[in-house]
Amino acid sequence: MSFSNDQLERYSRHIILKEIGAKGQKKLLNGKVLIIGTGGLGAPAAMYLAAAGVGTIGLVDNDAVDLSNLQRQIIHQTKDVGKPKVISGAETINEMNPDVKVVTYQEWVNASNILDIIRDKDYDFIIDGTDNFPAKFLINDACVLSKKPFSHGGIIRFQGQTMTYLPGNGPCYRCVFLNPPPADAVPTCRQAGVLGVMGGIIGTIQATEALKYILGIGELLNSYLLTFNALTMEFRKVKLPVNTNCKVCSNKATMKELIDYEQAACDMKPSSQA
Amino acid sequence: MTIILKKQDYDEILGHALMNLPNEACGLLGGLMDGEVKIVKKIYLLKNVDQSPEHFTLDPKEQFAVIKDIRRGNGVLLGNFHSHPSSPSRPSEEDKRLAFDVELSYLILSLQDKENPVLKSFRIKEAEVSEEEIQVI
Repeated sequence: MSFSNDQLERYSRHIILKEIGAKGQKKLLNGKVLIIGTGGLGAPAAMYLAAAGVGTIGLVDNDAVDLSNLQRQIIHQTKDVGKPKVISGAETINEMNPDVKVVTYQEWVNASNILDIIRDKDYDFIIDGTDNFPAKFLINDACVLSKKPFSHGGIIRFQGQTMTYLPGNGPCYRCVFLNPPPADAVPTCRQAGVLGVMGGIIGTIQATEALKYILGIGELLNSYLLTFNALTMEFRKVKLPVNTNCKVCSNKATMKELIDYEQAACDMKPSSQA
Repeated sequence: MTIILKKQDYDEILGHALMNLPNEACGLLGGLMDGEVKIVKKIYLLKNVDQSPEHFTLDPKEQFAVIKDIRRGNGVLLGNFHSHPSSPSRPSEEDKRLAFDVELSYLILSLQDKENPVLKSFRIKEAEVSEEEIQVI
């Protein structure tokens, strides 16, 4: 594959970076990232990955754009209200960068479809941009079982957190958090609110992890939880140990099948994105 | 400044230089200048009217045609190139003396070792020479 003049110009700021160069840009153009949730986290992540020239981007979401989403879900615009989020997202990406092929999955992930979605394009890296614990544990377990790296992200109010799972290299999400909290023990963004930019801050960190993984450069957030507080402007990077008794990723793992956890009834509608 | 040159364009420059041996070969580069990057979008292989192994002069008529073509949507004139059939890739005294535009890149392809051609780019300001990075991709 050789670059066109337009591609040279579009990606010149990447190409002149020693860590990327033409080789790295080709890796990105051949890269495949699956983004689960096209909301607060998924929207900025998808846009930066599209701009960077990640050649295949999968978007998973069963929701439609709601006016209340637009305060943070920047891939959607006012004219998109009522449109399926994956369609709205795909349209934005197609306008941004014709080099990107968008694959849409207009469905919620669950134990019976998530492995097929991951396998569909044999994605290199997965971004968890969901806003609920059942989906977060499901994504973790699916990635561990199918040996796929992924970036976890979560935001609420003025706080955000992210960690990266690399197969066989550091803890998984379940090593750290064991099980979902009881339904309704933790408020959702819909109940608690979220500062719009939080999705941008955490979502673009997740996109950064995806890019670094594809490029094979730098150090990722495997074995670390990065937390951010927008009110105090503090980032903390907390070292995380592997849980040797983890029921999905340790050698004592008992979990061979995916689980669909119950979601709090009040959160089933209308939104499942951060 | 970094110059980004497509491999196929580099190959054409090299082919042009080899074909013109034992004389020097020359040409111009059009493209975009954006901050610290020059992106070569089109190369122009020109005649060396000197037909000499140690000197080159671009044909003025051809130069005008190139400038016209560049203005038609191929950016700006980024610089020029010439070959050194039997000396290293560095500006000669004459190259320095005749380098009047500090903005242009002066590329020199050395064929001293034909198996290992060396392409370098220079900026020349009042005989002061600084090398630029070239990325062939």
